[in-house]
Formats: sequence, structure tokens, C-alpha cells
Amino acid sequence: MKRTLTAVGVTAAAALILAGCASEPAAEGGDDVVVTYSNFISAGGNEENLDLIVEAFEVENPGITIDVTTLPYADYFTTLQTDLAAGTIADVVDTNYDFFPQLAASGALAPLEVSNPGAYRESLLDAYSVDGVSYGLPSSFSAVVLYYNADLFDQAGLEYPSADWTWDDERAAAEAITALGDGIWGSHQPVSFYEFYKVLEQNGESFLTADGTAVAFNTPGGIEAAEWLTSKSGTVMPTIEQGQGSPDFDTNLFVEGKLGMMHTGIWVFGAVADVPFAWDIAVEPDNGTQASAVFSNAVGVSANAESIEAATLWAEFLTSSQTMVDVRLDSGWELPPISDEAQLAVYLEKGSPANRQAVFDSLDGIALTPLVENGQQEMQDIITEELIEAQAGRKSVADALASAEERINAVIGG
Amino acid sequence: MAEARSLDRRGAGERSDRTSADARRRASVGGVLLHAVVILGAALMFFPFLWTVVTSLSDGVGLSTEPSLWPENPSLNGYETLFTERPFARVVANSFFLATATTVAQLFTSATAAYAFSRLPFRGRGIVFAVYLATMMIPLQVLVVPLFAQIKAFGLINTYLGALLPTFAAAFGIFLLRQAINQVPRELDEAATLDGAGHFRIFWQIIIPNIRPALATLTIFAFMGSWNSFLWPLIVLRDAELQTLPIALAALQGQYTTAWDVVMAGSVVSIIPMLALYIFAQKYVIQGVASSGIK
Amino acid sequence: MSTSTLQTSLLDRSPGPERTPAAGVRRPVRSRRTRFTYTLTVLAFLLPSAIPLALFVLGPMVAAAWISLHEWNLITPMQWVGLDNFARLISEGETGEVFAHTLYYIVGYLPLVYIGGLLLALALNRALKGRAFWRGIYFLPVVTSWIVVAIVWRWLLNPANGVVNAVLAWFGIDGPGWWTDPAWAMPSIILASAWKDLGFVMVILLAGLQAINPDLYDAAKVDGAGAWRRLVSVTLPMLSPSTFFVVVISLINGFQVFDQVYAMTGGGPAGSTQVVVQQIYDLTFRYGQAGEASALSWMLFAVILAVTLVQVIGQKRWVHYG
Repeated sequence: MKRTLTAVGVTAAAALILAGCASEPAAEGGDDVVVTYSNFISAGGNEENLDLIVEAFEVENPGITIDVTTLPYADYFTTLQTDLAAGTIADVVDTNYDFFPQLAASGALAPLEVSNPGAYRESLLDAYSVDGVSYGLPSSFSAVVLYYNADLFDQAGLEYPSADWTWDDERAAAEAITALGDGIWGSHQPVSFYEFYKVLEQNGESFLTADGTAVAFNTPGGIEAAEWLTSKSGTVMPTIEQGQGSPDFDTNLFVEGKLGMMHTGIWVFGAVADVPFAWDIAVEPDNGTQASAVFSNAVGVSANAESIEAATLWAEFLTSSQTMVDVRLDSGWELPPISDEAQLAVYLEKGSPANRQAVFDSLDGIALTPLVENGQQEMQDIITEELIEAQAGRKSVADALASAEERINAVIGG
Repeated sequence: MAEARSLDRRGAGERSDRTSADARRRASVGGVLLHAVVILGAALMFFPFLWTVVTSLSDGVGLSTEPSLWPENPSLNGYETLFTERPFARVVANSFFLATATTVAQLFTSATAAYAFSRLPFRGRGIVFAVYLATMMIPLQVLVVPLFAQIKAFGLINTYLGALLPTFAAAFGIFLLRQAINQVPRELDEAATLDGAGHFRIFWQIIIPNIRPALATLTIFAFMGSWNSFLWPLIVLRDAELQTLPIALAALQGQYTTAWDVVMAGSVVSIIPMLALYIFAQKYVIQGVASSGIK
Repeated sequence: MSTSTLQTSLLDRSPGPERTPAAGVRRPVRSRRTRFTYTLTVLAFLLPSAIPLALFVLGPMVAAAWISLHEWNLITPMQWVGLDNFARLISEGETGEVFAHTLYYIVGYLPLVYIGGLLLALALNRALKGRAFWRGIYFLPVVTSWIVVAIVWRWLLNPANGVVNAVLAWFGIDGPGWWTDPAWAMPSIILASAWKDLGFVMVILLAGLQAINPDLYDAAKVDGAGAWRRLVSVTLPMLSPSTFFVVVISLINGFQVFDQVYAMTGGGPAGSTQVVVQQIYDLTFRYGQAGEASALSWMLFAVILAVTLVQVIGQKRWVHYG
């Protein structure tokens, strides 16, 4: 396909100009190898942290130079897909969990011989393998937890959230905190695909059928989960009209001391660190089955890399070296995907929030993002849109799920 | 030549008014009202920019839930981060270079093409012009993938030239200048022809001086088009040393979190040069008209 | 042509010099050698623009046409499907919807931005204190990115605590849900877009106003024409080439509206602001259907081309080149 496309472009262009210029750039001479690495993980504040890892690698591996390209996360996949279409992907590329199956299916990735598979958290390493062969190495992960404002809990005379909390506990506390008035709200949880598949599992349901060709959420249990998610709006959480869903809305409300609880990722630690009230985190409440969302990123090695060996060396260093662990833990740049709990102990002592153990406890019950072969993004868009219709009160939850079921099955079944 | 110029040297003065005192009074009431409306409207126009500046000066990562007109914890951290932790000076220089090159190229290709469409009749000219216009009618979103494959075939990925070539000519500018040239009185050409001037001389000595307002307008829009363009530079320029302002600004937003003070500082940095160019070019529009002999 | 005949022809709406046989200064020349020279001259003027446009726009357009005959997700090999993509698009209700949303945008946006821009240009063309400064202020939104503009307009139009609804409340009006309400989301985008683009229209029309010969105003005054009459019989006709440009460009751009939708609503709520190019973007880069996206772009192309041709043909009735 790449050749066809190029051919079309070329035919359309003037052959004249082509003649002189079509040659590929000359391969690197000598022993030095340049490994190109296209990433989004460092965009938005961790550029220097990535530089530290690159420097350490280059010191340890003389003769290999890493050429880093940093792209905005929001546009990374536009670029990556264009590269896949034109056959120009970097030697080492970032991916998130959602896009990995498409990337692996494209045939652009080289199978990896992982020299030290034991270094990785097993569930994460497995997530990036196809039929037992690794095509990607996890580079980091983050978990979603329940943040709470302890001062507001005290004010309402409530017990703090704990790992054994259920939806009912959260609801009761949220209502009590909302009742404090003064623009204070009880609990914030985004209404989206990423929350929905998780609450489904918390309620013992699942998003997809076992074979992954149809949705399985349009059940009484599924409707109950969707209701749990959408009914917070306007009762214990601001409505869309009041700004809910805008960028950073929940974090701001929390920082201003006007939010009792929020469901969000550990990436907000930094933004919340300096608030003038007591706060902590807990494992998210469930309705019988513990299920937490874990988001991970990974790197893959291009099958066309100039030196797959050097590229793999860098990929492994980036995802499992001691330097990487130190840099990530030191700067709070997500969590390293390593299996060694002892090394992660440092993380527990890093200060606020106190209950950092909850991050690891969350990993005991992971709700994995449901993946389909075709129409992943469209599926996510449809369910989010329908849930927001229910949240806004323009549709009943049952109608929204029925409509989502029909629309999604038409996309992923075909 | 001299004749052609003098032909057009006309009296200046819409404003050499000979109105009655009554009308003048009415005009002054109207003038006050006009000022009031213009100022009120300007406040509405100015607000988002003011907010951008305020947010850029506020310390902390959050976007406040309500617009505030005073920075919360005033600091220059946003700007400091921008210029010390990121290669921002380089990025600004890249954008300047690309925008300047695009503008110069477009002024040339647009003026020449516009002259042909206005002054050089040939068979099928209408159809050729329609084809030119048609190049504006397919969204870039579907063109980038084939265009990228083509630039790859030319071996120009990750080069300034690869970013520039597709912007060398644009139907927008050609159309804009054609409209302007159509308005230049043809007596000027005819007089110059009688003087023995050929098309190249008419183009350079008659047409160009007479369309300066349009050229200034095109300068603004060509520069702005390049300065703000996102999708194509994103795709074709990858090295950090080559990246442009909008891409670097977007890269300030992370996967999960965004440092808004830095983003807004970057927005201010990107707005100021455009505004300066506009004010400069606007002056030139008026000077240009004054000296070109139309007025 | 003297000033007075110029004006007469203008007021009479008789064909301008463009369409008189004498227009082509060089045309009457017959000799083969001069004709060859003339052809070379035409090429010299056209090729600098024709080459880049052919290579970097027409080429990819042809490639997009080829892609539209395939099923392709950008990352695995293309499959030939003939006209299936077009057939599917025509049979899908969604296609009609995204075109309808786009048309809705244009119908709301174009009159607003043109009339607003015209009034602004007329106001800022007058002897006004600090005129250059005010022009600069009105140009600010044009150079501000949609990311920033969208955040601010979502605030201004916030149904719960936004400025606009607060002002409406003073007049006893219960403001709508704006971008949170499917019925009001498109008007929100139209409002923000017209606000942002006023300065663009202003700049074009200001340049057009500068090009008007002041003698025409003097002559009209001698004829006893008042301010309104001068606007209608001198300013507007003389501005018609600029107006034509603004209308054609605004329509071409309006059909391809995308940035503001992407930044303000992302096509929602409930798909109520999903426009053609947003659909094209989604299909290409998010839904893995680049073939269908290319087919949709060519449908869009056909619509824009038809609308533009109607204008180009229609312009003879109302556009005057002085």
C-alpha cells in the first residue's frame, strides 16, 4: 500500500523533478548508529526527564545516539498514522494501550526478544504481546484513584473513604458533603467511555461479549452502572451547564476546596500537592467487584529500523533501566512498569498523599480497556456521546444504552 | 509613463467638507456615538487577549473556573519555563523564517498570476482560473497523507523546503490580487503601452504600485497563514530544531495534564509578532495609497 | 476614460472595461512571432504559481480521488472497492446530517460576518481618533488561536454563570443552554466564529475602501447625494470586487469549517455540530476509513465548486471593476 500511494503521488507529480531527488538519504557510515525515537510521553513538562534517560543510555552505550522527536499527545497518532501510511516511522515509537493492537496488526513492528522479561510487571508486559510474542515494552503506567478532601469529611462528620467502600458509601458521603452548601459538591466522576467500562466491571458486568464482536452492557446490571455514573450530575456533581467536562474542571474545584471527592488519575498529585487542606486518596469504591482503571504507555521497535538490535537496546533501557526508575520516581513522572516492589517502596515515602499504598492496591483489580479489531475510536465516541445524552437528561439511561448497543454493534460487528 | 501617472493624479478629499453648521453638529453627535460603539466593541474584542495575558502571568497549572482579569499569584514562571526549559527561541526563529519565505514567495506567485488573469487574455483563461480556485476546495485533512508521500519521494521530509514548497502558491492570494488589479484603471496600461512599455514593465511600474493596499493585505494573511499553520508542519517537520511555534505550543499539553500558564505565555508570544506585523502593514496600506497616485 | 464617464458607467451598470472588446491590449496583434512571444509572456506570468499548485495540491487531489476508490485504514494495504465508498456515503443518513450542519453554519455565519465586517470597516475608515490602534484591537481575535478563543467563548456562553446569559437576565430573558444544548450549539459556534473573523473581513474591505477614487464622492456630493445615497451608489458598488472576494472565500472556507468546531464542541452535543470536515478528519485519523474520507471530500468538493461557479457566473450582475 505504501508503494501504491507513493506511486500515485509520484504520477501526479512531475516526473521531471522527481528524477534528481527521489533517492533515499544515504545510510549512516561507520560504527555509529543513530536510533530515532518518536515520543509523546515527555510532552508537556517531562522533556528534561527524558533527556536524563537518553544521556545515561548514551554514556552506557557509546556508538549509539538517540535522536528524539517529541510530539504533542493530542496529535501524536495523526503523525504516527501518516508515518505508517508512508512507511516512515521512527526506529522506536510510543504508543498507548488503545492504539497498540492496530500498530501491531500493521506489521510495522518487529517482534522483540526481551532480555530481561522478569524486570517488568507481568500484566503490563503481557498487555503488549500478541500470541505470546512481545511487540511492545511497557514504559509507564498510571492508576485512577479516589481523591478526597479530609477537611470536608470532618466538617460533614463522616468517616474517610477506605478500600472496602461501596458505591452506597460514596453516594451517602457525597450527598452529605453536597448538603454542606456554599457551592460545595460531593463527588466528581467524568462521564465517558473510560469510566463506564470500569464501573461496569465494578458491578460485575462487562463492556464486550467474550469474543469481542458485540457489546454486552445493555443488561439490568449495565443500566445500573450507567445510572450510577450519570446520576451524579446535578445531584452531587455540577452539571455540564455549570462547567463540568471543561478542561481541569474537577482539579480546580478540588483545589479550591469545593469538592469532597474526585475520581481521577495519580497524575494530578502535583497539581493538588500544595492545597491548604488535608487530603488523601483511596482505592475507588465498587459495587461488589474491585475494578480500577490503569492506563499504560509502551514503545515498539520498527521492523524497518536500521539496527533493530540498537533500537531494542534503547527500548529496554527506556522501560526498565535503573536510571529510568530513579528519574520517574524522583520527578513523579507516572510510575515505572517494573516488577520489583522494593524499588517502588521509595514511591510510598514521597509525601502527600499519605496513602500511596492505595495506588498499588488498585492494581489488584484492574479493569482493562476493552479493545476491538475495527472501530475502537468510533466505539468510544458513541458510548461517550450516548452517556452524555443520559447525563444531560435528554435520554433515559435505558434508551441511551439501547441506542449505543445498536450503533456500536453496527461498527464493530461488520 | 509620466503621462500615465499624471492622468491619474486627481484631487484628494472626500473630507474637504463644505457642510453646513447644522450638519456638522449632527456629525459630531454621530461621531461621539461612533466612538462609543467602536470602543465598546473593542473591549469585547480585547477581552480574550487580556485573559490570555492574565493567565500567562498566573502561577500554577490550573485554568481557573471563572475568567479573572487579574493574575492570581502573579509570576513570570510561564515565560521563564518557555524560554529556559524549551528551545523556544529556536522555534520562534523557525516560524519567522518559514512565514517570511512563504510570504515573499506568495507575493511573487500571486501577483504574477493575478496579472495574467486580469490583463493577459488567453483561450480557456476562465477554466484555468476555476482550476486555481478549485485548489482551495479540498480539505487539507485528506491531502496530507498523499502530500506527505510525495514529499517523501522528493526526499524532503524533515526539511524547510519540504514544509515550504506546498505553500509557495495559494489561490487565496491570486484571487485577492486579481480583484485588486481588475480595479486598476486600464487607461494606465494603455498610456504605458503607447509609451512602448511591455507587459513586464506595466506589471512592475504600473500595476504593482497601484495595488499596494492589496499587497499589504496579502502580506498579513500569507504570513499569518504560515505562522499559524499546524497540520502540515506537524507532519513534515520532526526534528526539535525544525519545529514551529504552533507545534511547540501544542506540545506544552501533556497526555494527562497541561501547564496553562506556560501555554498562555506561548500564545502571547505567538500573538504579539502578528499584531505588530498587522499594525505595520496597515500603515503601509495608507501610505501606499497616498504615494501610488490613486488618491 | 475620464472620471465622469467612469462614474456614469458605474451608475448605469453598463459593462465595465473588463468586458469591452478593447480589454485585451495585446489581442489584436496577429503576427505569429508576436503571438509566440505573447504565449511565452503568459507562461512566464502563470508558471510560478501553476507549478507548485499542480505538484502540491492538484497531485494530492488526484491521489485522494484514487484513495476514495479503496478501503484503507492508512496502516494496512488498501483494498479496491470501486464506488462503494460513495454509495455508502449517499445511503447513510449521517452524510446528509453533516452537510446540513455545515449549511446551517454558513447561513448563520456569512451574513453576520459580512455585515459586521462592513460596518466595522466603514467605521474604522473614518477620521477617528487612534484609528490605527482600534484597527489593531479588532484584528486581535483574527490572530488568536482557536484553542484560546474556544475556552473564552465557552465561558462567555456558559449557561450557568456566563456573561452573555447574565446580560440577557437583566432584560428578563432566560438564556439558552448554548453549547451544552444540541439546539443552541451551532449558534454558539456561529457567534464565536463571526466574532473572530470580523477583523478578517474588515481588513479586506478596508483595503477595498482605500482603492475607491475620492472624486466619485465629490461628484456624488455635487449631485446632491446624501450620506446614505453615497453609500448605496458609490461605496457599495465600488466595493463590490472586495465583497465578491469576501463572499467567495467565506463560502469556500465556510464549507470547510473545522477548527472552531473541533475546539468548541468536538462535534457534540449528540453530534449536533458534526460538520463535513470534522467527519473527514474523524474518518481519516480516528476511525480508520481514509477511503470513505476521501470520497466525502470529493463530494464536498463538488458542492463547493457548484456554489462557487454559480457565484462566478452571477457576479456579472453585481460586481463592478472600476
